[in-house]
Amino acid sequence: MSDLRPITALGAALPRLASFGALEIRENGGLALASMALRRGTVEPTPFGLALPGPGRWIAGQGVAALWTGLDQWMIEAEGRAELDFAAELKQLAPGCSVTEQTDGWVAFEIVSRAGTGPIDALLSKLVNVDLADFGPGCATRTGLEHMSCFVIRRSEAHIAVLGARSSAGSLWHALETAAKRLEER
Amino acid sequence: MLITHPLLGLRDAQEFTYLGDARLIDRPAPSAPDAEAAFCDYVFLRDNPAGVHRELWYHEHGDRSWLVVTRDTVTHEVLGAELARNVALARTRCSK
Repeated sequence: MSDLRPITALGAALPRLASFGALEIRENGGLALASMALRRGTVEPTPFGLALPGPGRWIAGQGVAALWTGLDQWMIEAEGRAELDFAAELKQLAPGCSVTEQTDGWVAFEIVSRAGTGPIDALLSKLVNVDLADFGPGCATRTGLEHMSCFVIRRSEAHIAVLGARSSAGSLWHALETAAKRLEER
Repeated sequence: MLITHPLLGLRDAQEFTYLGDARLIDRPAPSAPDAEAAFCDYVFLRDNPAGVHRELWYHEHGDRSWLVVTRDTVTHEVLGAELARNVALARTRCSK
């Protein structure tokens, strides 16, 4: 029997981590994801005690979080549960809803600033067409980032997450790295 | 060009893909006696006005909703946008 070892979205044994000035970009290999959609006539559930957020919003609970992805649709995140069957667990808590496993379809990059909100805002304004005056903590949106469709989540003033398609993880890392490097050199 | 998304506010038109005339929502009934002629018109005939036009846009890099956008094709001014789902639902209610 072959000795099979899991690799991350970027193809390494361990998640990638890099620092550019005040910004740190970390591949979040442990993040489990599942999408949840209401079906006609079902009651909106509160999985893991989360009050599901409205359009453009993200809400965090104990080790889990939810972001609005479309009408009656949400993506549920669970920290450190990528290797477990998170979708099955969510399905139990969302009776009547359509739940789909998403973990292996996405790559998550956590970007944290050690110098407050400034570097994060500078990076976002380089990369995405989002109105930063209206993108405070608790906001999340899907938008284009170098022609890749990504979710951008504002977890706090100095912490954002970018979720992109796992198949273009390398290109997304390149985009983030290049923008962060240019900010560092400026 | 910015599109006033009814749920998400002003969004860049680059996030959307364009389909065409919003009359595509009015799909003819396939069981009607004149279905063949109606489908021929539905598939091939479009108005192409210079001025105010209602058209379907898809928020691909966004919440994946279909919108009916009212736009002036001469000035590119966006005059309004509504969820295509609501437009379609309102029409089924009227026709019943």
